[in-house]
Amino acid sequence: MIKVTNLTKKFAENAVLKGIDFEVSLGEIVVIIGPSGTGKSTLLRCLNYLETPTSGCIEIGGIKVDSRSATRTQINKLRKQSSFVFQNYSLFANKTALQNVAEGLITVWKMPKPQALQLAKDKLIQVGLRDKLDQYPSQLSGGQQQRVGIARAMVAKGEVILFDEPTSALDPEWVDEVLAVMKTLAKQQQTMIVVTHEMQFAREVADRVIFMEGGYIVEQGTPQQIFENPQHKRTQAFVKRALKY
Amino acid sequence: MQTSLDIQYIFELFPYLLKYLSVTMGMAIWGFVLALIFSVTIAIIRVFKITVLAQLCALFISFFRGTPLLVQLFLLYYGLPRFFPIFEGLDAFTAAVIGLSLHFSAYMAESIRAAIMGVDKSQMEACLSIGMTRSQAMRRIILPQASRVATPSLMNYFIDMIKSTSLAFTLGVTEIMAVSQMEAASSFKFFESFLAVAFIYWAVVVFFTRIQYLLERYLNRAY
Repeated sequence: MIKVTNLTKKFAENAVLKGIDFEVSLGEIVVIIGPSGTGKSTLLRCLNYLETPTSGCIEIGGIKVDSRSATRTQINKLRKQSSFVFQNYSLFANKTALQNVAEGLITVWKMPKPQALQLAKDKLIQVGLRDKLDQYPSQLSGGQQQRVGIARAMVAKGEVILFDEPTSALDPEWVDEVLAVMKTLAKQQQTMIVVTHEMQFAREVADRVIFMEGGYIVEQGTPQQIFENPQHKRTQAFVKRALKY
Repeated sequence: MQTSLDIQYIFELFPYLLKYLSVTMGMAIWGFVLALIFSVTIAIIRVFKITVLAQLCALFISFFRGTPLLVQLFLLYYGLPRFFPIFEGLDAFTAAVIGLSLHFSAYMAESIRAAIMGVDKSQMEACLSIGMTRSQAMRRIILPQASRVATPSLMNYFIDMIKSTSLAFTLGVTEIMAVSQMEAASSFKFFESFLAVAFIYWAVVVFFTRIQYLLERYLNRAY
């Protein structure tokens, strides 16, 4: 379970998150939508402590960290509870696809190398990269790189996978293959929080949609509620515009 | 007064000088290995901005870049033993190795730091996101990538260090420069002697330039 309490984040004087509260239960798929620059990515990065929150409490998988009293050990424990899929893939440039996926298993979870490589191979086959195991990231297309990124996040043994606009940097032709992998994951009851502009994906896959604007959660509900019957004026305007495309 | 160049003398000198090349290369290799250890440590301290240590490293770099190598060697070999008896047993070879490594580590640390800073910060984030610690990330991902960027300039420093070992003759180390100096003094064939030693340095540097090329080609494969 994930529980976020009164989370705020300021960059210098610029408040990006102004008090976020929400919970996600095990197996739930939450999609966060909203205009650019409203703190969606910052929220996701805070959950993984890639940004340090200014204040607030984050609890994932029984590890609770209050930003005011967070120690390095606590942060490290919390990080292990989630894994991250980056907009720009961020694969390890000096490692092959297989090594990218196995790296965390070997270094973080101390799994014996042959076992780690076997598991990594299985995951890469699952995301359809059977013949790309020994390629370096620079030799892969954007869509392939992102699928490696998802495989890397899948083996991380965290409770939740955080997706930060996983398809925004992709050429249109690669978007579907990445979304297909994410849909498969969703079917396996993998807990996911996804920041995306793919409204179709949100509608089809999400259990719950959160609409964020200006550093606040403005409205949340089932895809049906948010897309067909939004209550808040801001949500109505955004959804109307977003669904035009 | 002899005016013609005694080429035969130069060729006779080569095998004799080459016997001492191991001393020159010994200083350069030991010096470089130590300098690598120092400079990587300094670079990491500076990248992570570790308090106190980072300031000390900045001072270290400032001093060793701000004073001539010869002065540093003299300070180390002739100066320190007076105040620190522990240095009294220091032989000239070791003193030269230490002096060279300190001097070059100041420069190399800055190259390595630049190379580390040059690795995209998304690489560190990716490491942290899967639960790696900062030092694991450094070892497994950041330093291997930085080493590729740093290699050309580090090889340049190594080549520079080979030539700088010639200063060790002022401490009394019998390396190729010292031998050619002694030969020149006894035969009065200064030009021939120094020409011979110059050719040896040149040949060694050409050799390592070739190694550098091969090393870079190896590091630049695939990714």
